[in-house]
Amino acid sequence: MHLLKFQALKEKDLHKLSGFPKNKKGKILGYDNDHLKMPNKIIEMGLLPETVFRILYQAPFNGPMYVEFGEEKSRIALREEEGEYIIVEELN
Amino acid sequence: MQANKKKQVLLVGNPNVGKSTVFNALCNKKQKTGNYAGVTVASHSGNYTYKNEEVEVVDLPGSYSIYPSSEDEAIFSKFLIDEQENYAGVIYILEALSLKRGLLLFQQIQDLGVPIILVVNQIDQAERRGITIDIQKFSEALGCKIIQTNAKEQLGIEEIKEAVLTNDFAKTAKTSFETPAEHKDFIQKIAAHKGFDNEYKAWISLSSGSDLGKIESVKDLMNESEAKSMVPKRLQVQETVRRYQIVDKILANVISKKPQFKELLTEKLDKILVHKFWGYVVFLGILLVIFQSVFFLAEYPMTWIEDLFSWLSAFTGEHLPEGPINSLVSSGIIPGIGGIVVFAPQIGILLYFLYLLEDSGYMARVVFLMDRLLRPFGLNGKSIVPLVSGTACAIPAVISTRNIENVKERLLTILVTPFMTCSARLPVYSIIIGLIISDNSFLGIKYKALVLMGMYLLGFLVALFSAAILNRFIKNKGKTYLVMDLPAYKKPLFGYDLKMVLGKVWDFITGAGKIIFIVSIIIWFLSYFGPKQKPDEMVAANVELDHSYLARMGKSIEPLIEPLGYDWKMGVGILTSFVAREVFVGTMSTLYSLEEDAPEVKVIDKMRRDVKPNGEKVFSFATGVSVLLFYAFAMQCVSTLAAVYRETKSWKWTGFQVAMMTGLAYFVSMIVYQILK
Repeated sequence: MHLLKFQALKEKDLHKLSGFPKNKKGKILGYDNDHLKMPNKIIEMGLLPETVFRILYQAPFNGPMYVEFGEEKSRIALREEEGEYIIVEELN
Repeated sequence: MQANKKKQVLLVGNPNVGKSTVFNALCNKKQKTGNYAGVTVASHSGNYTYKNEEVEVVDLPGSYSIYPSSEDEAIFSKFLIDEQENYAGVIYILEALSLKRGLLLFQQIQDLGVPIILVVNQIDQAERRGITIDIQKFSEALGCKIIQTNAKEQLGIEEIKEAVLTNDFAKTAKTSFETPAEHKDFIQKIAAHKGFDNEYKAWISLSSGSDLGKIESVKDLMNESEAKSMVPKRLQVQETVRRYQIVDKILANVISKKPQFKELLTEKLDKILVHKFWGYVVFLGILLVIFQSVFFLAEYPMTWIEDLFSWLSAFTGEHLPEGPINSLVSSGIIPGIGGIVVFAPQIGILLYFLYLLEDSGYMARVVFLMDRLLRPFGLNGKSIVPLVSGTACAIPAVISTRNIENVKERLLTILVTPFMTCSARLPVYSIIIGLIISDNSFLGIKYKALVLMGMYLLGFLVALFSAAILNRFIKNKGKTYLVMDLPAYKKPLFGYDLKMVLGKVWDFITGAGKIIFIVSIIIWFLSYFGPKQKPDEMVAANVELDHSYLARMGKSIEPLIEPLGYDWKMGVGILTSFVAREVFVGTMSTLYSLEEDAPEVKVIDKMRRDVKPNGEKVFSFATGVSVLLFYAFAMQCVSTLAAVYRETKSWKWTGFQVAMMTGLAYFVSMIVYQILK
């Protein structure tokens, strides 16, 4: 039962960065299995596991996302396609 | 070894950390930077002398990592690695508000065994955020000297100079990044085999996956199973993650934070500037303000300059002794140069705005807003920067494509950027529009201004349209993506930018002036002399323009340009404008000044009065439109061509661009002329 609960929690709280609700706090857990195709720049710019972030804006027609992250409140623009590689969870 | 014993230092750091500001604070005044409006693209260098020591500062393109993902980052890594013997050390600029990200590249450079001094810029910004940095501890942890600066206020600049003088660059004995145990053997094998003095270099040769300057990739040395277990990309990720862990540890001991969180200017501004709706409104508004200023603000100084040159021309015509020299000066050189100088105010205003946009950090927001809209055309959001700077000049615009990571998107951007209306086309447009469009206005906006705006819009639309077409034919290599820092807004350096703009405008005047000076003299010669009319003379001097060599040459190409509605004078103008478009105006000024004996009449009025032998106006509406379209589309200036070749390294694409653009120009002009005539 315990395990089941955990499973349910996982289903509920695991998201990809793209599609993550705006203005909610989230935390990066890791990257998709496909991450070798992911541009290195994402990691180099500091979007590392354990990083806390917020999506502040998104350009129209599913344009790039404006993400604020880390203790230094860095800002980065990335497309939804790049956000697909990043696994995140919601924080309260 | 080298004749000059200048000490060379490199200025290195992430993009947008205020590197240029430090560079300019170090090398003030009389140095020449290769910095164009647009972005700090190519590496450029400046000099300063401090206590009798001459120092050359090389400002390298900003980068986030030693592993390049775009052309400008590749330029950076190659220079850093290949020139290691030649420079005294690296001045590494770190922005106090993004220490973490900046320390990644810092460590990599340190691990390469490069002597380094760290500069922490904009500490005041961090303090406003309640962040205090213990510089003493920080310096011990990193093992190098740290200088705090506020480059805008010139704080700390002396200290940097002093540190360079006393060679305070530090090399670390141990590397921050330990080669992972599982690869240690292989790395040592490489180091021994390739003769690397440094283990990290061996690591790079393995993890970069391709040659990085002198550090050649060792892909070929690996057997199949080794190649499988050591995928370069995975190694890079491993390195980056480990480095960030180290950085976190260091920073935890160095930074203290007060729970005070003031909303910074950037956060307030972005609520509007990247807004789904208002963001675009503001961007369009800014463009409108720029163009409005270019056309209306510039009107006054332009009239003064025009009057001055008309007067100069009349004055020299009256006071110089009669004869060929008089005619050369008063109707050749002066009108030719005047025809160009008159556009200096417009070009200056345009450049100034572009500098301000770039400097303030706003351009990154424009990239954010435009990315989605440009993608259907095969372009990247980053293409907007070359496209907008293309309205000043295509050369820096083409160079500024270097930060577009995807090869195809970069090529497309290079191919279509020259369609944007550059400032050299402005003189041509202005004069032709002045000839064919009435002075009336519509709702308070002059028709002339509307048409000029239309020409800018046309250039932009054709750029997009041709990108969309080429997009279908050019194969894509590699992934396209957008991962871009959105820097904090900075108050632009108004005074400094003004100085830069005045320098650029002066370059434009002297550069164009020189060309036009020479072209004017050649044209004058060819028009002053003609084929002999009497059997006993070698050549005929002081001939009627129609009987000159120039007329002969012009008339020989007339069949080619007649379908476009041009007479031989315009043909000569178009030919000379392959040197630079604005030369058209200079050529026209010279030609028309030669023709009539009334130098005080403005050139434009002479052009308006000119008639063909059959009594039709030379600059009819149809001809005017045809000229406008030709200049809108033709790939004309040789310097842009050279820049395109340098950036694409391909004659095929350079040639293709010339043929595509000029062909389009010819046919569109011809069709439109034939319809309107």
